[in-house]
Amino acid sequence: MALLLAPALYAQTDGLPSDGPIRPVPVFTMGSGFITTFQGGTPNLGPLINPVLLVPVGNNWLIEARGDLESSLAPPPGGSGYTGSLETNVDYLQLDYIANRYLTVTVGRFLTPFNIYNERLYPIWIRNLQTDPLILPLEAGEYGASNGGMIRGGFNATSRVEVNYAAYVSANSTVENLASDRSFGFRSGIFLPGPRLEVGGSFQHLLQDYRKNAFGFYGEWQPRSLPLDVRAEYARSYVGSGYWMEGAYRLSQVPIWTSGLRHVQMVARMQQFYTGQGWSSDVPSVSTNMFEYGMNYYFRDDFRLVGSYGRQFAPFGGNMNVWTVGLTYRLALPLGHGDIR
Amino acid sequence: MIQPLTFARAFVWAASMTLFSGAALAQQQTPSAPGPARVSASASGASSISSSSSVPLPAAASPAKPATGSASSTAKSSEAVREDETSLIEGEKRFATNCGRCHQAPHKFPPRMMATIVRHMRVRATITDDDMRLILRYMTQ
Repeated sequence: MALLLAPALYAQTDGLPSDGPIRPVPVFTMGSGFITTFQGGTPNLGPLINPVLLVPVGNNWLIEARGDLESSLAPPPGGSGYTGSLETNVDYLQLDYIANRYLTVTVGRFLTPFNIYNERLYPIWIRNLQTDPLILPLEAGEYGASNGGMIRGGFNATSRVEVNYAAYVSANSTVENLASDRSFGFRSGIFLPGPRLEVGGSFQHLLQDYRKNAFGFYGEWQPRSLPLDVRAEYARSYVGSGYWMEGAYRLSQVPIWTSGLRHVQMVARMQQFYTGQGWSSDVPSVSTNMFEYGMNYYFRDDFRLVGSYGRQFAPFGGNMNVWTVGLTYRLALPLGHGDIR
Repeated sequence: MIQPLTFARAFVWAASMTLFSGAALAQQQTPSAPGPARVSASASGASSISSSSSVPLPAAASPAKPATGSASSTAKSSEAVREDETSLIEGEKRFATNCGRCHQAPHKFPPRMMATIVRHMRVRATITDDDMRLILRYMTQ
């Protein structure tokens, strides 16, 4: 319904004055990719498309939506060829109102704000390694999104400290492609622009099933002198706990073959997951350790070749190699005249 | 359940169209990677929330103003240029500090498109009002 109404709403705000401010235009973007995974020797083909629609309305409103179309094609046991099903989902469909410099109000379906991976790093064209962290289901829940209301914002506490926050309430939903849990929670972080360091924490209380709490911490750091990203998250809930730490280094400062190496990014991640008292089909059934090494080649900022090797350590025959290779791409198009001329 | 061959064909078609349209768009876009800040003669933007999603037009799109020969207007003009230059340098700094936290620095998009993307990132990445305004100004010059 929002997608249908959006163009009509936008049409009422169209009409750019020749000497006025820049008026935003609706934008269609899409992350897409084709990732082939070999897990314990079993190949798996993973085409994925994430269309995103952004419709600004007036000065302070924004409608945004993201869909998810993906498949997992694998050879049937004892058979040949690849079979699989197409999975579709609505990641978010939300209306944002930027009330003032401290507060944005969001209603609809939105990504659950717990730590930073689900909201900021999840898109296929952003993530440095294509496999999900083992603790992601602890953070984002079974569906990764919530239905309800949220307040959020970021502001300067001092000239050297920025504070960001998000707090939400979600209702239970069993509607196909729009499912969510009944819960509430918040995330808050402090960002220091000087050293480019952000740390924060999250809390969530489930109002159904186990009715248990979950909490987590995160940190990320981009030193000014190096093209290096360091990120880490920790999460603990009734069904388990764990952490991941990741470093990604762009080889732009290596003094040999600079024209080629500046496009290359090396990535390493280690993670541990520990089972808890509860049970969930989304997390490993036994405590698991994993490390991964990856290499990404950026043809452009929006088009890259990705590859990684990982080794998983788990009891009861869970030790295995995990290889991934694929392409990721992001498209962005204005739905109207993007230029102001 | 769908036929895998059918889905694979559909995906190849979608990927081809995606790449083709991306290449076509790239030919229309404004000069690519964010380079050094350029100076324009437009005034700096206000910081109220009502202006949070809009910045003054770049010089190329602003109506031309008649030149006056007086010393005071020249001083005012050079002052405005200096302020504008400072604003762009600050915008470039904020761009590198904020956008690079999650992803590789994107190339520049057309101004009205950039205004939407920056508004989206204000909500998604909870960047501050000041950061958003300066980044938008830098990315649309």
